[in-house]
Amino acid sequence: MREEAKELDPATEFRQLYDQQYLSVYRSIRGVVLEPAAAEDLTQETFVRAYRARHRYTPTAPPGAWLRRIGINLAISYLRRQKLARVLPARLYTPPDRRDYDRAEARDVVTKALATLSPKLRAAIVLHYYDGLTREEIAAVLGVPAGTVASRIAKAVAIMRKSLGSDQDLGPERSNSEGALRGR
Amino acid sequence: MKVPYVDDKPTQGGFGTPSDDDLGRMIRNTVESWRPRRGPDWSGVLIRIANSGPPAWLLYTAASAALVVILLAAFLVGSALQIGALGPQPVPSNLH
Repeated sequence: MREEAKELDPATEFRQLYDQQYLSVYRSIRGVVLEPAAAEDLTQETFVRAYRARHRYTPTAPPGAWLRRIGINLAISYLRRQKLARVLPARLYTPPDRRDYDRAEARDVVTKALATLSPKLRAAIVLHYYDGLTREEIAAVLGVPAGTVASRIAKAVAIMRKSLGSDQDLGPERSNSEGALRGR
Repeated sequence: MKVPYVDDKPTQGGFGTPSDDDLGRMIRNTVESWRPRRGPDWSGVLIRIANSGPPAWLLYTAASAALVVILLAAFLVGSALQIGALGPQPVPSNLH
């Protein structure tokens, strides 16, 4: 797992674990809920839940994966409660600032593409591409079989590629941003 | 929707469609650009822990134990005072 130089013991080094894992847990949660404020709130709640359960942590998985499991489950429950998934695409997209057009557009396009996925597909995609977890590790985090993870990733990739492809086919005026979008 | 299994190896995208490598890079770049406005706030976590009630499992256990005690007490009181169905039942006189 990225950004995990040393595995800390949640029971005795929780404060250090908080500082070490805060940003990556926040990003994983934001990848599911896609809302900055909600992601911050859920990240804090993740650490509250983890703190209470720190003595029940068993080192079968790294503490980072354990925290992500709590966080992703909280995020999915949050979306289920709020029924946000249905209205996310409409609420998310705001036109980028012209000054940072190329840089910002690539990110907005990806966020828009992520918003077309269901929360469970987003979780699999973010854990795979951002956290760099293997399918087995994602399966442990999400509590589903590795085969389910593989099919979720494949499905999410297919949807995102289609979504990003259609965004890139909009016309010649966007050809400059294609380079940024493709990372070339 | 049934989709084929996708291996970790990058595949080449078609016209206008990013390859798997590009897609992974785009997702990583996007996610790494996300930064919390407030940042880590350990005191906020401690305040939440202090303000939150007991954990759910403790609440449910205590509620279940209280229910058992109430039912047991009601049974004992009912038996002692011979209330309702816990009192002596009339024996039908035509049974011999």
